Amino acid sequence: MGHPYIPNTREIREQMLVEIGVASIDDLFSDIPEKIRLKKELKLPSQTSELEVKQDVQKMLARNKPFTQMLSFLGGGLWPHHIPAHVRSLVQRSEFLTSYTPYQAEVSQGMLQALFEYQSMICELTGMDISNASMYDWATAVGEAALMCARVTGRKKILVPELMSPERFSVLQNYALGPSLELVKIGYDWATGQIDLSQLRGKLGQDVACVYIENPSYLGFLETRGEEIADAAHKVGALFVVGVNPISLGLLKAPGDYGADIVVGEGQPLGNPISFGGPTLGIFACRDDTKLIRQIPGRLVGATTTLDEKTRGFTMVLQTREQHIRRERATSNICSNEALCAVAAAIYLASLGPRGLRELAETCAANASYAIKKLDTIDGLEAPIFASPHFNEFTLRCTQPKLTIKKFNAKLLKQGIQGGKPIEGEFPEFGETALLCTTELHRREDIDRLADVAAEAVGARK
Amino acid sequence: MKVGEHEIPEGLYYTKDHEWVKLEGNLARIGVTDYAQKQLGDVVYVELPEVDKVVKQATESKTKEMELGAVESIKAVSAIYSPLSGTVKETNQALQDRPELINTSPYEDGWVCVLEPSNLEAERESLLSSDAYAIFLKTLK
Amino acid sequence: MRYQQARWADDERLEPLVFELSKAKRTGYTLPPKAPSESNIPNKLIRAELELPELSEPEVVRHYTRLSQMNYGIDSGFYPLGSCTMKYNPKICEELAALETASSIHPYQDEDTVQGALELMYKLGQCLAEIAGVARVCLHPSAGAHGEFLGMLLTRAYHRSRGKERKEVIVPDSAHGTNFASAAMAGFDVVVVPSNSRGRVDLEALRKAVSKRTAALMLTNPNTLGLFEDEILKIAEVVHKVGGLLYYDGANLNGILGKTRPGDMGFDIVHFNLHKTFSTPHGGGGPGAGPIGVSRKLEKFLPVPVIEYNKKRRRYYLDYHRPQSIGKVKAFYGNFGVLVKAYAYILLMGTSGLQEVTETAVLNANYVMHKLRGVSGYELRFDASGPRKHEVVFSAEPIKRETGITARDIAKRLLDYGMHAPTYYFPPIVPEALMIEPTETEPKEELDRFVETLKVIADEARSDPEELRFAPTQTAVGRLDEVKASREPILSWRMYKRASKK
Repeated sequence: MGHPYIPNTREIREQMLVEIGVASIDDLFSDIPEKIRLKKELKLPSQTSELEVKQDVQKMLARNKPFTQMLSFLGGGLWPHHIPAHVRSLVQRSEFLTSYTPYQAEVSQGMLQALFEYQSMICELTGMDISNASMYDWATAVGEAALMCARVTGRKKILVPELMSPERFSVLQNYALGPSLELVKIGYDWATGQIDLSQLRGKLGQDVACVYIENPSYLGFLETRGEEIADAAHKVGALFVVGVNPISLGLLKAPGDYGADIVVGEGQPLGNPISFGGPTLGIFACRDDTKLIRQIPGRLVGATTTLDEKTRGFTMVLQTREQHIRRERATSNICSNEALCAVAAAIYLASLGPRGLRELAETCAANASYAIKKLDTIDGLEAPIFASPHFNEFTLRCTQPKLTIKKFNAKLLKQGIQGGKPIEGEFPEFGETALLCTTELHRREDIDRLADVAAEAVGARK
Repeated sequence: MKVGEHEIPEGLYYTKDHEWVKLEGNLARIGVTDYAQKQLGDVVYVELPEVDKVVKQATESKTKEMELGAVESIKAVSAIYSPLSGTVKETNQALQDRPELINTSPYEDGWVCVLEPSNLEAERESLLSSDAYAIFLKTLK
Repeated sequence: MRYQQARWADDERLEPLVFELSKAKRTGYTLPPKAPSESNIPNKLIRAELELPELSEPEVVRHYTRLSQMNYGIDSGFYPLGSCTMKYNPKICEELAALETASSIHPYQDEDTVQGALELMYKLGQCLAEIAGVARVCLHPSAGAHGEFLGMLLTRAYHRSRGKERKEVIVPDSAHGTNFASAAMAGFDVVVVPSNSRGRVDLEALRKAVSKRTAALMLTNPNTLGLFEDEILKIAEVVHKVGGLLYYDGANLNGILGKTRPGDMGFDIVHFNLHKTFSTPHGGGGPGAGPIGVSRKLEKFLPVPVIEYNKKRRRYYLDYHRPQSIGKVKAFYGNFGVLVKAYAYILLMGTSGLQEVTETAVLNANYVMHKLRGVSGYELRFDASGPRKHEVVFSAEPIKRETGITARDIAKRLLDYGMHAPTYYFPPIVPEALMIEPTETEPKEELDRFVETLKVIADEARSDPEELRFAPTQTAVGRLDEVKASREPILSWRMYKRASKK
């Protein structure tokens, strides 16, 4: 029997061989040197029916415990939100799903317009004028931002907060290797966690390409002096880059309104599942400035008209920045991006609207505030460890002697609760601490339950 | 004169990279030729050099110090290589708003920059006359 | 067969922008109640306004449904883009990736709660390693170019560890643009080596180009002309002799599955495009995945974490104890949602299926080559009589000389017949190039129709070239002013409003 995905059966193939005057299929592979021809079959699973594959993979995946079936407070760069059902059904439409990059604009107006709408909505959220049509994730977007700032300013120093996400820092280090950029970590205020302004000012000079902050930060607190950081950077001709969780921008001031030149972030919470870490969605946006626009990495969709000027249409623009034309002078090597995730984000944002996103952000923040209050009153726990405003993530420290945060989490897990991400390995100076996240998925009862189990775990009276 | 549809004004010098040079006293005005603009298609952007930039005369193998900037169209980006060593004295700011001048008037309004040559006498030997450039263009066909 | 794409149009535009459909107070969203607490965020950090569109759910659905109707995917029709491997995407793979047990797991969950995910990734890595003939595969990179970048970083780390600073990476002139860009991004200088008259890497030129400065040679095999680099063993020798590494661009893997392996050819680093050979959907540009396989000597440099299996405890775990690792090129562990689909695909095909994939893909390409060769106006440059693998590049130069009609015009006209254009103007070493990769999921009838249509278009070019210059006419829009789009870029609703006022 033939394979369902291969319409040309053995019989048809034989017919085709005759038609083109080739004796056997092997003749088409005769130019492969004898020495490297495979003599045995590959050691792979044998061909399996769709039903069996479904059962096998389902069984394998059943060894996962979805966080939707637990009470989970994990965040740390990917945040769990409810995705309205229609988002998924729309991105599963095969004209979107199975299409290629929209290089042939005439037949791809659907994808192009959807991406233009995504770019537009990101601009509204971030206060920027230009957004690209996606990057791989927040971490690589930071890397690309650093490269862009170095190109634009001709300088090599990148200033970052010491409390920046270590994973994102590691990715940034790899992006910095090529042009030998120097990464300098700026210390933080011990009480608030926020970037130490005087240290920042001390390190700012004519050799700095950009200052990067995360707001909300990796550890959940907000940077309250964005304007001052922007001023300090601009005074020495450096660019100001801000990394964000876009959901927070439903409530918080847009970075463009406090002086950002480039905004990067993680777009996953906009209509995309967490999916064990990917696909993710890198946000990259910047101001409309002639110096910046030609240096922006990634694909860009622009509005134009048909040649007879009668009809509006969309097309990929400024492709000469990209690898397929500019090659080694390209602003980035990025080719495939996260386009479908960007379309999901556009559909999600169009569905929420400004009111919905605002309410969602307020809910996330209120839930965190409630969780903080309930946990902080427990003897043996401290939340948050920073005296700053927070959005939907906060730090929780175990002050009970002999109880490590890992043991604390293990106790929670026994009660079906996945605690926050332990950060004692990344930042040992903060002791036995974890990073917790709340979203609209958490109800009041869930947080009450967390508090009860947490109190039990530290052996405190409630 | 013309080779096919390509204009090659006399009185200018040329390079194999399709730049033209007009000597004006002790300065040299530089641009790209009609052949170059036709190859590129509609120009959308011109990357001009900074004033006071020091450049080297371009040779067979190219380095960054020989670049005067670049011309971008929809389908290509072409580096502009300097026909002579020297210092950039003036750049054609009109190209910022109207890059299409390179297409419509490559030898006049579409000039790219003016250079103060540092080694004109020796280097001018390696420039092509309009006749030599015409012959060169014919070989490309 | 003619095509008529849906066209939603309204005066001077197609479907309005979602911002243009917005009406105050409409919403497509509901929210559960929040906890009784207010956050302590000061007012000065709160935004005053946010301009996002306001639509109800039916309006959102109708809007994006209409947009999808003005788009074209593999499920719509033939999509012979060279080196893109636009093959059919099995729907069971979509179903599996959407399971709660795949989509609702967090990368920071306790390892005991994600053993299924770790097992899947581990086994996928093993399958890919077997297919390519390498020791170990890293699944982190999100796309081909991302994987390339990782490959370049590994190259750099390898030479550094041996006390060498090697600055050059060699790339053939027929290579994909990302090869050049990725090498440059990792800090290497790119040296371009020409192709010979047979369309393969010029061995003599390569011998002259290698030196003690050579870090690596990047190669795809079969190459972008669809030709197998039959001197690959000599090429490998030349590069290895000077201590350089051999990097394999996996874009064209569909041409050799089960027949030969890059690892056996001598490649030290092997890259994969899961969204090509392993049939995960392209999604209009992404998401994809670009895993990297390496030989034993490079394993220690792989990014963290590496998925390992503890035989005694019968447990998968994330290994971060790798002192020589280059760190990370992406947060977390890779595009898991894409990896699930690729793994399911490998199971669905199995050993025999993957072999049949390559045999049929190659036969389909050679069939098209043979038939198109007989059509006046299209010619083969380079090795006109030799076999191809999974793709073939034709030149439409004869048509251009005769009628002035270009490869681009031909590609645009194909859209009117309900077929997506092949890649054109690539590789740059072929003038008026049309790069055709049919893949194995196309029936013979469609291949015949494709060749017949190219013949019809060649005839149209001779009889009515002016008509062709306006193609396509059957799509939602005709040709767009791309020059204007790049000269005065309008990249967002904000910029659009500003431009409209002028």
